[in-house]
Amino acid sequence: MTLLSADDITIRDGATRLLAPVSLEVSPGEPLVILGETGSGKSLLAQAMMGTLPEGLRVGGTVTIGAQHLRAEDRAAFKGLWGRQIAVLPQEPWLSLDPLMRAGPQVAEAHRLVRDLPAQAAREQAMSDLAALGLEHAFRHYPHELSGGMAQRVAIAAARAGGAPIVIADEPTKGLDAARRDDVAALLLVALAESGGLVVITHDLALARQIGGRLIVLRAGKVVETGATAQVLADPQAAYTRALIAADPETWPRRTAQQPAGAPVVEARDLTLSRGGQRLVRGVSLSLHAGQILGVTGPSGCGKSSLGDALLGLLPPQAGEVRRASDLAPTALQKLWQDPVAAFPRTRSLGQTLGDVAHLHKAPKGRIDALLARLRLAPELLRRRPAAVSGGELQRLALLRAMLARPRFLFADEPTSRLDPITQAEIIGFLAELADEDGMAIALVSHDPVLIDRTADQICRLDRSVSETGTPQQVDLRHATA
Amino acid sequence: MTTTTLSRPWPSGRIIGAAILTLIAAFAILGPVIVPGSPFAQSLMKSLAGPEPAAPFGYDHLGRSLYHRLVHALRLSPLIALAAVATAGAAGLVLGTLAALRGGWVERVLVVLADALLALPGLLMVLIVLAIMPGTALGFWAGLSLVLWVEFFRLTRATARATLAGPAVQAARLLGFGWPYVFRTHLWPEVAPLMLTAAAFGTATAIMGIAALGFVSVGMRAPTPELGLMMVELLPYWREAPMALLTPVLATFALLLGLTLLAGGHRT
Amino acid sequence: MNIVISRLAQAVTVALLVGAATFAMMRSLPGDAAWRIAAGRYGYDNVDAAAAEAVRAELGLGGHWFPAFLSWMGDLLRLDFGRSLVSGQPVIDEIAHQLGASLWLALAAVGLSLVIGPPLGILAGLRPGSLFDRALLVISAAFKAVPQFLMALILILVLSVQMGWLPAAGYGQPRHFILPALALALGLAAVNARIARDAMASVAAQPFYAFAEWKGLSRAQVLWRHGLRNVSVPLLTYLGLQFVLLVEGVVVIESNVGWPGIGHALVHAVFARDVPMVQGTALMLGLGFVLVNALIDLLAARIDPRGAR
Repeated sequence: MTLLSADDITIRDGATRLLAPVSLEVSPGEPLVILGETGSGKSLLAQAMMGTLPEGLRVGGTVTIGAQHLRAEDRAAFKGLWGRQIAVLPQEPWLSLDPLMRAGPQVAEAHRLVRDLPAQAAREQAMSDLAALGLEHAFRHYPHELSGGMAQRVAIAAARAGGAPIVIADEPTKGLDAARRDDVAALLLVALAESGGLVVITHDLALARQIGGRLIVLRAGKVVETGATAQVLADPQAAYTRALIAADPETWPRRTAQQPAGAPVVEARDLTLSRGGQRLVRGVSLSLHAGQILGVTGPSGCGKSSLGDALLGLLPPQAGEVRRASDLAPTALQKLWQDPVAAFPRTRSLGQTLGDVAHLHKAPKGRIDALLARLRLAPELLRRRPAAVSGGELQRLALLRAMLARPRFLFADEPTSRLDPITQAEIIGFLAELADEDGMAIALVSHDPVLIDRTADQICRLDRSVSETGTPQQVDLRHATA
Repeated sequence: MTTTTLSRPWPSGRIIGAAILTLIAAFAILGPVIVPGSPFAQSLMKSLAGPEPAAPFGYDHLGRSLYHRLVHALRLSPLIALAAVATAGAAGLVLGTLAALRGGWVERVLVVLADALLALPGLLMVLIVLAIMPGTALGFWAGLSLVLWVEFFRLTRATARATLAGPAVQAARLLGFGWPYVFRTHLWPEVAPLMLTAAAFGTATAIMGIAALGFVSVGMRAPTPELGLMMVELLPYWREAPMALLTPVLATFALLLGLTLLAGGHRT
Repeated sequence: MNIVISRLAQAVTVALLVGAATFAMMRSLPGDAAWRIAAGRYGYDNVDAAAAEAVRAELGLGGHWFPAFLSWMGDLLRLDFGRSLVSGQPVIDEIAHQLGASLWLALAAVGLSLVIGPPLGILAGLRPGSLFDRALLVISAAFKAVPQFLMALILILVLSVQMGWLPAAGYGQPRHFILPALALALGLAAVNARIARDAMASVAAQPFYAFAEWKGLSRAQVLWRHGLRNVSVPLLTYLGLQFVLLVEGVVVIESNVGWPGIGHALVHAVFARDVPMVQGTALMLGLGFVLVNALIDLLAARIDPRGAR
């Protein structure tokens, strides 16, 4: 018996084919993982199975849910199945709760309006749903009073209250750190045990591994590989799948440590930082030499970015001091941002912006072209505006811009957390190359402890209460949990 | 700012608005060239008479050519309004940028002042300034500027705060660019489109204000040709000469509609 | 608590501004102002140099401006608004007398605009880009381009002069309300329909709105339970700001239709250079704005507990 099957789903935008015919089946007890990068069509496929594709897109094929056969293009027919047959866990669940309604009623309303329970019974059922997820006290809280993890549980309870046997989770770990990712995987597996069917759409190899079941790898709208998840990940057949797995920091070799030479470029002594009246970093000491990579990691909100800003001199320390090499020009300290689009002026072409920087720093003619070639960027990109360039390319352009100022210290603040794994590996590779070949000192912030472990010569692990600094061998990153 | 181009073509509403305004401006500038005449010359014989070649829109109750009165009315209040908007826009841009850049008590004082002005009906402030200033046109300019700068200030300050705190400006500063460059390449391109919208609304508000006060006889004085004043003068003759009254009414409506359409978005 | 403090600061600044502006108005009265005022008070036959001098001294029209300014502001802060230069009655009594008429008119106008504007706006916001949405956009732009006094003029011409359905002016009976309230409401509705439309469109585009449907709720249930509440907050905040527009409309329209309210009185006071009356009315309107917005802030904070605003 299959809970859900999709046959020959195709999606077109005008003449462009976004998704080649894809067929899949979901059986009870066996989760299905759809793995792919941004633009692979994985979310479109999920939307086609839920009837939520935008009207502008043409969709073909059929979807069978339980006993119902539906044509994928008949979007209205899916509406009646929501909550009753398919439960949808949206991306970023904390945005999926009504900010003006308390958590409990958001679960209870599904019991009352979808399952037609009387008001009192619906309340009690919602209460026990939340209690089962360890949220007895959250019933009367507003969403903004919940942590991200709690909001996620409330959203799961609300999505499943209608009693649907199939759960579809679209990028459930987007923007989460490693510890929370494990949490989500566990919750999804519980949902699977109770409901029967589970479809997880993700770009996250670790999540795919934890969910198990069957796997479909999508790339540019085409199925690259299918099979049992464990098997595909252990022994990938397609070249793309192999590249994807190779891009996972877990498989990276650890960096060969650079021996400190000469005077440090930046140094921090007993640094204590606070932002908006909240103390973030307490008593951190470190010294960073030319050619070294300092990895900074820790849960979100622990002060990783503030530490980097303090090293740059953008955030004055509350106590302690930051020392920079005395021969360091003010512009020899540069930064990369998490969202490169926001780091460029919106309305100017990239060529204009880079030209201004080259002019200001009296860069010799041809320097931009040389750097473009070195960072493997097409010169045509310079004619575009920041928003019209892909994230990976734009982050490399941001790196190029920083290099025009001939920096000796670079603070890279989560430079790859919004990028796909293969692009991430590429950018991190460039950073390592800059440290090795140009002798740049780099502070790299990431929420991914594995990435930091593989990339850094020196690690600073921040947590709410403690912080420790040392080599990758010394700092135990397994404790780096939320 | 010479290098910034609008990424998308203007929506059709804006184009229609700009076209209406161009037509009105052409009429106001070229009107007396096409049909020479005076807005003040009276001829009681022709009181409320219909159109003729020397007066294409007919005559008012005092036998003055409505065509020429309208031409002058369409010069007077738009000019005052534009002058007030230019003053208010410049003041708002400078003070808003200053507040966002300096912060501290400079910002606090300006914000409290702007908030207080926001609480007072604009027409009331204009009325008080009119009573203080010598000369009605000067009084309107000063009063309207005083009322209108608040909107430009708030827009500029909000945009500047967001922009200045963003990564793009941080990057420019780290790279060694000075504030003039930051203003030119980061701030102005963000503020300019909002300023255009606010300026169109501001001009409409100013023209409405001048007409409204003229209509209740506390604005421009007779015999000045002014839209509101023309309406109240012609109101008693509605039955005899409906077209005479409709002339300033339609002109006002077209002017304000053009400005509203040009503004595109709406105030928030 | 923050709301109360910042609104108090606003109220104090409003009072200072009004005080300074009306003081400047007083000082710039033409030279024979004391005569005119004395004449207004005692009748032209009874005015003599002594009476004019008494008025001059009372108003502090002579002498250095600074002590006069301090005493002017002192009176203001003691809430002593003085007497009308025209009627000789205490300003506070005059205002109390007129406020009611204006308040009823304003409430009728706001009520009417809320019945017309937001429902249309919400319907349009649920289907952005639809024919209805675009039609509403055009209609509201057209209505927004009609100043309130012109709207009143048009309504008077159409409804009372041509059709004879309603009285053009007058006060005292319910039917007298319809014309001025409608003239005010149409302009307000044109704008708050747009606000409601944008708020609804932005709420409907939020992830939680789609999620509520995915839970299995019907469109109507989602609109009723999640849409309206979220739309109400920006709409309320906007209504507070619209208060100024409303007051301006009231000032002009009362004069249009001879409504015995505060706006009508204000225009008369400005015309007659009755500075204490101008000051009292301006202060009342400015503080009214602050009070209304403080109440709206508190209400919005109850609906939206996030405390973002």
